[in-house]
This record gives sequence, C-alpha cells and structure tokens, in this order.
Amino acid sequence: MELHHAISSHYVMEARLLQDLQYREWFDTVIAEDIHYWMPIFEQRYVRDRRAEPTPNDAAIFNDNYEELSQRVDRLLTGQVWMEDPPSRIRYFVTNVEAYETAPDEFEVFSNVLVHRNRRQTEVYVHTLGREDKMRKTDEGFKVFSRKIIHDARVVQDKNLYFFA
Amino acid sequence: MIDTAELVDNATGSQSRKVFWDKDVYQLELERIFSRCWLFLGHESSIPKPGDFLTTFMAEDRVILSHQADGSYKAFINSCTHRGNQVCHADSGNAKAFVCNYHGWVFGQDGALVDVPMEARCYHNNLEKSELGLKQVRVESYKGFIFGCHDPEAPPLQEYLGDFCWYLDTIWGGPDGGMELLGPPMKSLLSCNWKVPTENFVGDGYHVGWTHAAALQMIGGELAALSGNRADMPFDDLGLQFTTRHGHGFGVIDNAATAIHVNREGYQKFLEDNRGKVREELGPERERLYMGHWNSSIFPNCSFLYGTNTFKIWHPRGPHEIEVWTYTLVPRNADDETKRSIQREAIRSFGTAGTLESDDGENMSSATYVNQGRITRQGRLNSSMGVQREGPHPVYPGIVGVSFIGETSYRGFYRFWQEMLEAPDWAAVHANDDNWDEMWTNRNFWPDRMASNPDTSA
Repeated sequence: MELHHAISSHYVMEARLLQDLQYREWFDTVIAEDIHYWMPIFEQRYVRDRRAEPTPNDAAIFNDNYEELSQRVDRLLTGQVWMEDPPSRIRYFVTNVEAYETAPDEFEVFSNVLVHRNRRQTEVYVHTLGREDKMRKTDEGFKVFSRKIIHDARVVQDKNLYFFA
Repeated sequence: MIDTAELVDNATGSQSRKVFWDKDVYQLELERIFSRCWLFLGHESSIPKPGDFLTTFMAEDRVILSHQADGSYKAFINSCTHRGNQVCHADSGNAKAFVCNYHGWVFGQDGALVDVPMEARCYHNNLEKSELGLKQVRVESYKGFIFGCHDPEAPPLQEYLGDFCWYLDTIWGGPDGGMELLGPPMKSLLSCNWKVPTENFVGDGYHVGWTHAAALQMIGGELAALSGNRADMPFDDLGLQFTTRHGHGFGVIDNAATAIHVNREGYQKFLEDNRGKVREELGPERERLYMGHWNSSIFPNCSFLYGTNTFKIWHPRGPHEIEVWTYTLVPRNADDETKRSIQREAIRSFGTAGTLESDDGENMSSATYVNQGRITRQGRLNSSMGVQREGPHPVYPGIVGVSFIGETSYRGFYRFWQEMLEAPDWAAVHANDDNWDEMWTNRNFWPDRMASNPDTSA
C-alpha cells in the first residue's frame, strides 16, 4: 500500500508539472538518463494474423532516447511555437495504477491515462492511453527509464500528439 | 453553376477562397479530379507476397489493394455487392479470400464473388455470381509505387506522371536502387481542406523559416540559418522550384537532403556513396537534385519530402476535413540500421508528434475555417511570389522557378486543378497538351539568366 501510494503521488506530481507547462522541470524530475520513451503504431489486424507485435525497430510515433526527448522539450521552450501561444490547456487523469517490484528499488507500473486538451476558443481533444513504465527509486523520488504508451485510437483525432504523457 | 475562371486567375496567381470551402466545388473535385486522376494506393514493399493486402482510400471510397498469385496487383471497392457492407476491416494481412461479416459472401483475392452461403438451398443456384464481383479499380505502378484510377479514359500512369518521371527517376528508380515505403502508416484527422497541405508540400519554401523557427533552431545544422527568414540569405542561389503539365511539382534546397535529420550519418554516407553513379548515369543536373532536399506533391493529394523522407496521402473527408496517412520513404539498398534510423528521424520530425509537422496543423485548419465567414470567403488568396522569374529551362523539363522560396509550384498546381475542373473529360485535357504552359510568358528567362551567369548550371 505504501508503495502504491508513493507511486500514485509521483504520477500526480508529474501530471501537475506538465499541466503547468513546467516541461524542463518535468524532464529533470522524472526522466532517467537511460530512458526509452516509446509510442508504437498498432495496425488493425485480424485475430488470425500471426505477425509479431511492434518492436522498437518498427514504426512508432515516439521512439526517443534521453537526448531526443530533451530536444522535444527544448522546442517548446523556444517561445516560437506559434500554436502554443497563447498556450493550450491540458489535463491528465491517471487511474488504475498497478505497481510491481521487479528488482530491488525497480518497479514495473501500469496505468490508464485520460488526456483532455483545450486550445484556442472551442477546440477540444480527448485521448486515452495505456502506460507501461519501468522506474527506479532514487534519493529524490522515482525516475522512469522505460515508458511504453499505447494510444487507443487507430486514427488520431487531433492536430498532433505533441504532448508528454 | 461554378465559374472556374473566377476560382483561379493564372495571370495574377490568385485563387478564390471558395476553393477551400464550397461544398459544390468539392463535389466537382470528387467528380472531375478524384474520380479521374491516378491516386496513390500503396507501395509494393508493403504487400510483398501473393495474398498480401492492405486497405486504403481513394478520396472517400474504401478500397482493398491485393497482391495476386501471378504477381500482379488488383484493387477493388471495399463494399459487398449484396447489401453494401464493408468487406474487410483489417489494415493489412494475407488472405486467400475476403468474407463479408453480414451474410458471409466470399470474395477472392481478385475481388470476384466465389461463394455465398446456402447458394443451392436458398438461391437455387440462380445467383449470377460472375456479375457480382467487387467493383474493380485500374491499377498501375511506377518504380514500385502503386496507383489506382477509376477512369478508363485516363492516360496510363506513366503518361499521367509525364515530365515528372524525369525527376522521380532520380530518386524512386535511380542508380542507387530506388526507394520503398515503410509502414504501418500513422493516421490522423485534420480539420482542413485537402489542398492546404498539398499546396504547402508542393511549393511552400516560404513558410519554413517562420512556421518552423523553433524546430530549426533545435535541430541546428544547414537549415538553422533559415530560422526567422534572415534577410541576408542568398535564396536564389540555394535551390529551385519545378512544376509540370499535370500539376506535379516540387522545390529543392541544394545539398540539404538530410538536413532535418539529427542522426544522419548512415543516410548521408549512403548518398555520398551513390552520387557518383547518379552523376554518371543521369548527369550533374540530377546529381544536384539527388543531394538536395525536396518538398513535393504528386497531383492531386500525395506529398513527400525527399531527404527528410516522410510520405503523406491527404484523403479528403468533405471540403473541411482530411485523414492524413504518413509512411516513411527509404532507399531500398540501404542497410537495415540506416532504414530504421531514417524512419525514426522522419517520424520524429513529420509524424503525428513531429517536431516540425506539429507546427503546421493550425495553419492548415485556420486557412480553411476562417472562410466560414461569408465576407471573408468573398476574398482571394495570393500566390504571386516570383511571377515572371520562371520559365522553360534548357535542361529541366516543365517550368522552373529561380528559388525554392517562391510560388511557381503553387501556380502550376492550381493551373492544372482549374483545367481538370473545366474539362468535361480527359479528351478535353489532352487537347491542351501542346500549350499547357503558355501562361508562363517569360520564355527567355532561363536562357537570359544562364547567359549572364555562365558559371551556374541553372
């Protein structure tokens, strides 16, 4: 229970940093240097189809290491991303947190994430994600070193997926 | 009645805003463009074996593209000939037959109706199955890229690509072995008219420095200097712009093929290793293109960036929405690691979460939706940049503009768009074959320019 509470609180803090547009703080606080940040593309396939699930060698919307994820943060902080000026509003609803200790101070954590984005006057976008994290406990808290994000929609109903989850 | 002369004014390079908004214009596009032109379906590399199939769209029509037992490709409308249900719901796979979920009618790899449940007991063997196959689409491929067309009068694909083949041969089937596509595609909806992204890819070098200022700074390298449209850049010496008979066109930035890629060593080496062969077999003018970065559209709704290697199809969903499909272009002969690296970089910059593509979404949708206002919609759109600084070229086919920042390819795209809307059939289009480019009146632009700049090849 204590572990579950600690990790849930960590996710709430993470969501707050992102909602408050504290991208660099988010990156420095929760992302480990050996991060693999991955959102694979899943095709619609028949049940009888025996092809393997996507791997990090296949097409993926995000497939980033530490440096690459850091560059994505840098872009948002240039002040020249016109779509984010005035900025969008984003809310994260994180539920179904389920944590397992896989090694001393290492955890595998599953969660569901509902992302709600508002921008300009009337634009609304909603995304549901499954998240599979691998994280380790450090002196300051938890750092994620592997994040697999499963986007439930085959056809994304949004202008872009340029947000962190 | 639609006044096509009012919609596009070739002399001044302007279009009515109705082209992005009017439902009647859109219906005419479905009839006279999307039901008559060759539309991109898929690449042979996505369905390499007999039985492999993928499902896609031709404008708003769903189609199945299937690799036949004899190695050819067929495409047919993805709707059962019984009560109209969609037959196949998978994105791709391998199938000997396609079975409709509703009553179980069975269609073969070639779309023929091969079986129906209870044919003897309930149809009493009176069903003319041979007349109930899925509606066929014409299919042809060029260098592995497969296109479909609904119009029996349309010219063959190679003739439709026409002069543009001279350019495509540099990259799609060139001395380096040509290119293929990596999927599965990303798919997303965007609230814009299909022509906004198509015109952006065909000829918009201008927006790059402003729209993508943030990403260019982040990436650094050759294109970082474009960020903010610095006035001291010699834009006329950095590239060219092209348009052709059937509306296909592109802009090229010299020596910048891999510039958008942060991790580019493998791809850059591949290009360096092959440029000698390209020069030898195709000449220095096409070696120049081979090493450059292209932004291109194949009329009507397929676009790609050569170098960055994103490959897009803009499927229209009415006049105010599209479904974007995004593949990655890779050289067939590159090693697996290089192909994977190109795919990652192309998606990171131009995928659904692309560091550059994400900048464009609002440009696309707002240029469409502002026209909801009646007064706004009565205005016009300007694409006059570089008028007269373009013309026929002694080496490059089509019409060539002097800078990659210009609107030559816009003018060529809308010239053909208007021609298609006006023409009642393909015969009327063919009748213009000899004088299609007469709107470009500065016929001596290139001979004069090359005489005064003898050092430049262009």
